[in-house]
Amino acid sequence: MSIARAAAPADPAGREETGGAAVETPIRADRVTKHYLGGQRVALDDFSLDIRAGQVTALIGPSGCGKTTMLRLIAGLEFPTHGAVTMHDRPIAGPGPERGMVFQAYTSFPWLTVVENVEHGMAIQRVPRAERRERAEHFLRLVHLADYADSYPVELSGGMKQRVATARALAQVPEVLLLDVRFGALDALVTWEMEEMVIEIIETQPKTVVLVTHDIQEAIYLADRIIFFTRQPGRLKADLPMTFKNGRRFAKKDEMLSDPGYVDMEKRLYAMMREEIKGRIS
Amino acid sequence: MAAREDLVAATSQGQVSSTAPLHRQDGARGPSAPPATPPRQRFFEIHAITTRRQSILLGIAGVLTWLGLWEIAHHLTPAAEQKFLPGAEQVIVKVAELLFSTNYLADIAKSLYRIYVSFAAACLVAVPLGLLMGSFAKVKALVNPTVGGWRYLPAASFVPLLLVYFGPTDMAKMALLFLGCVFFLIALILDDVLAVPKELVESAQTMGASRWHIVTRVIFPAAAPQILDSMRNMIAVSWTYLVIAEIVAATDGIGAVMMRAARFLHVDVIMAGILTIGILGVLTDIAFRQASHALFPYTHRRR
Repeated sequence: MSIARAAAPADPAGREETGGAAVETPIRADRVTKHYLGGQRVALDDFSLDIRAGQVTALIGPSGCGKTTMLRLIAGLEFPTHGAVTMHDRPIAGPGPERGMVFQAYTSFPWLTVVENVEHGMAIQRVPRAERRERAEHFLRLVHLADYADSYPVELSGGMKQRVATARALAQVPEVLLLDVRFGALDALVTWEMEEMVIEIIETQPKTVVLVTHDIQEAIYLADRIIFFTRQPGRLKADLPMTFKNGRRFAKKDEMLSDPGYVDMEKRLYAMMREEIKGRIS
Repeated sequence: MAAREDLVAATSQGQVSSTAPLHRQDGARGPSAPPATPPRQRFFEIHAITTRRQSILLGIAGVLTWLGLWEIAHHLTPAAEQKFLPGAEQVIVKVAELLFSTNYLADIAKSLYRIYVSFAAACLVAVPLGLLMGSFAKVKALVNPTVGGWRYLPAASFVPLLLVYFGPTDMAKMALLFLGCVFFLIALILDDVLAVPKELVESAQTMGASRWHIVTRVIFPAAAPQILDSMRNMIAVSWTYLVIAEIVAATDGIGAVMMRAARFLHVDVIMAGILTIGILGVLTDIAFRQASHALFPYTHRRR
């Protein structure tokens, strides 16, 4: 299998209209500005963005560009200073189970076993007990952790803990999955494994995904569309559909690396990153 | 990052899986290398590994050293005054004697009762209050200045007041033990709750958890192992207040036995009381550790 089967319902180019109907955009940021420290630090400046249904949107940019802030605004963990972030045209008033999130820090609950962790979100949503266990086991298989159901998180490696958190977020069946997983914190092989697992998951459970990364290769591999942020204050630098993938996703990362479209895209992104770095150093 | 680029470069040239491995993978192995002798470790090495046997032996050596110093001090004391510094063996014998000949066991039971009931009451107040203060900044702002001030008031200074209020009753003694630890306990539990990573709370929020759920099912279990540890430390303080509580108008309890002995200069009984409290304190500590193992098995597991 060289390329995964046809993916996202929406065209990754995202611009075209399918069958005359406009592409659905469940989440929108409309001219969002976010100040910290009473305006001393501007994380986002007049930023507008629409997240398209069924697509993987990667937010990328140098550190301090506000990409994490944007993710937290969508999660409802923070609120904009100006402008609005909406979901289905209603302002986001707080966190909710329809927006599942995987955090950069390890957030598995240490006092619960792996399977209990995955069940926790369903317990909050009052899913019947028997169904909880069944669904939890399904999602653990999806993240290749079925053999560790009864382990405690302390017994797992960093990559495995992130997989527990991913299974937990998926088990709450969110409409939108928010990933703040800088896999780069893990070692190179585990990073690779995690990235391919994310693709596998999105292929089997089609989802609208927003993820934050500072790794150019990771962004190109995972995303259908990349949103490039400028350094502080965060503004939109580029909105890049991954057209070279032709509406599909690579199941294996190494197969993407030799694709000429990938090489071009990587060059473009490195050039952008270079511009941002220059702005800082000079 | 560099490692990763190497990996990518290697893969794009098809080297990772196909080229000859550095080591033979077919299971055929030559004779193994000669056994290695680790460099000799100095006895006092920084962060040296101490075996369980070494730990036990060193612990016993420490106790024996202390008993030896005690014995030497005892024998250096002039014979006429030796009753003011009885030997270690005399004190140990005295504990046994007290246990069998008098109703010392009833006194111990009384002291244990006072400690545990007052401490349980302190926990019943401190755990919910600390949990609420740590979870809700506004509760903390409301309560913390008051509680913080109370910590600096010496519990012993409440003795006269408690005597006026409760008379020479058990209540007076338990109230003192309660006051002696409850404010510290609140402060410690507050810190334990504040130490819960905010990402745990945020991830529960993104699962749609209510505030009640987050406080009781996320923050509390996340802080529970540390809370139990704080309790373990504070019950030791409770033991230190026991004698003060039982000095005043007490007819029973270990402290009362010691005060009675003081009147007749029975130093061996006083020391036997001190030793009893020490032993009971250590046993309490062990019980708390065991409880921690039983309640929070995951804190003792490792990869």
